[in-house]
Amino acid sequence: MVVCLLVPRFPLLAALRAWSVEGKAPGELSGAPSASLLSEPVALGPPPGGVQAVGDASPAAEAFGVAAGMRMGEALARCPELRLVPPDPDAVRAGWGKVLDRLERIGAAPESDRAGEAYFEADGLRGIHGGHLEGVLAATRRAIGRRVRLGAAPSRFAAYAAALRARSRGRPRIVSAAAVRAFLAPLEVGVLRVRPELAELPEVLEQLGVRTLGELTDLPAPAVAERFGHPGLLALELAHGRDTPLTPRRPPEPVVERLDLPEATSGMQLERALALLVARVLARPERRGRSLRSLVLSARFVEGGAWRARATLRQASADSERLRLALAPRLGELPAPAESLAVEVEAFGPPAHDQERLVHDEDSAAAERRARLGEAVRQVRAAAGEGAALRALEVDPRSRVPERRTVLAPFPAEESASGGRRVRPRGGNSPEGSR
Amino acid sequence: MTPGLRRLGDPRSAAVGAGPQGVPVAVGRTRVEAVSEEWVVEDRWWTDAPLRRRYFELVLADGRNVVVFRDLGAGERRWYEQRG
Repeated sequence: MVVCLLVPRFPLLAALRAWSVEGKAPGELSGAPSASLLSEPVALGPPPGGVQAVGDASPAAEAFGVAAGMRMGEALARCPELRLVPPDPDAVRAGWGKVLDRLERIGAAPESDRAGEAYFEADGLRGIHGGHLEGVLAATRRAIGRRVRLGAAPSRFAAYAAALRARSRGRPRIVSAAAVRAFLAPLEVGVLRVRPELAELPEVLEQLGVRTLGELTDLPAPAVAERFGHPGLLALELAHGRDTPLTPRRPPEPVVERLDLPEATSGMQLERALALLVARVLARPERRGRSLRSLVLSARFVEGGAWRARATLRQASADSERLRLALAPRLGELPAPAESLAVEVEAFGPPAHDQERLVHDEDSAAAERRARLGEAVRQVRAAAGEGAALRALEVDPRSRVPERRTVLAPFPAEESASGGRRVRPRGGNSPEGSR
Repeated sequence: MTPGLRRLGDPRSAAVGAGPQGVPVAVGRTRVEAVSEEWVVEDRWWTDAPLRRRYFELVLADGRNVVVFRDLGAGERRWYEQRG
């Protein structure tokens, strides 16, 4: 069984908490606990330099018709008393990281792509929490607190749907394997929007008169595949209560260096601060001689709120000058005066030991090319996700049906770095045969 | 299909206007200038899901070359565009 943990409006809560703790909340909001602030009409403001639209809104603001993604002008016209809270990606990341850490402390291996939403497999935890699922859910509630929605079901998507229907302080919603299809059938297709790759599908389905997941599962799979392609098939799988396996997060190795800045620091002073931070990060013992692959530059603003920018290096490096050069252009993107600047290591690379070969031969040149290719693939994946580096693989090049000739497959980065073995399909059968 | 693999060149629905002989005369709002080639593909006739398509390689009025086909199977006989 998969357990889903939902904390509605987590980014807003985290920003409110940081705002009230810093004492930058105006008037009567200052010093109030973040939960009680939610009873006021408040919403996340637009990110600095981003689209002028509000983010998550409190229930009081929603009562006025304010919704996430609404243009600022419209939101303020609907609710003139609306207070905007500057988004704080640093606080959200830190706060959600703590929630995931607590889940790991009860033995869970959580997967979480978004702050406020986490999943983990419960089957392996029953033994240490009383031998049943209820014990695991109770341990989760104890670890995280009361204000979370908990749902459990055989798949990630069904667990999410169950958690949506659970109440924050109420009992967790458990959907058994036998009941999962009946549970999902009456739900509106809009719930599929939880998957980013299906964000646009519900609108089309509704236009075609398919309003519930049950109506979707009544359609024949070939017809859905023909009309909607891969997204349609994925939606069908989800509606049947099936989903892809969870991919738990890798516990991070937090290496952060922060520097408080005197007011109105800019230009050369900021660059010096950056150089100092890079030197401090490189000196951290947690690095253990490894190079740095991906870094995050963040800042807290004098007026409240925070800003983050990520820099993935073309080649993992432990050279301070190279790291400084990669991060310095980001300083120019700072949208407001900063009161503190921080550099965080997001991903480490291999140990830093670039050494030229004494003798170059064909084999070593090929190995070097493969290593560089593998390095490039890892860099692309660090920047754009695991599914970013693909290669076209010919499976049936002479097929008369064009879509059977070539498939996109994950690029084997490790293989290209070590041996460069080619993967060939077994026999000459087309992939259609296994459909 | 194996998880992690994705086909290249999957057909996409297309709005194709056809003449009385079933030969395309427009793709979307663009007029067909010439039909370069025409062929029929029949495959998997030994299975429950046989495949039967009438392909046309077209030159459009805006200079584009496109390949479209009409699905002649038991369904709605819709038009698709496909990259060869």
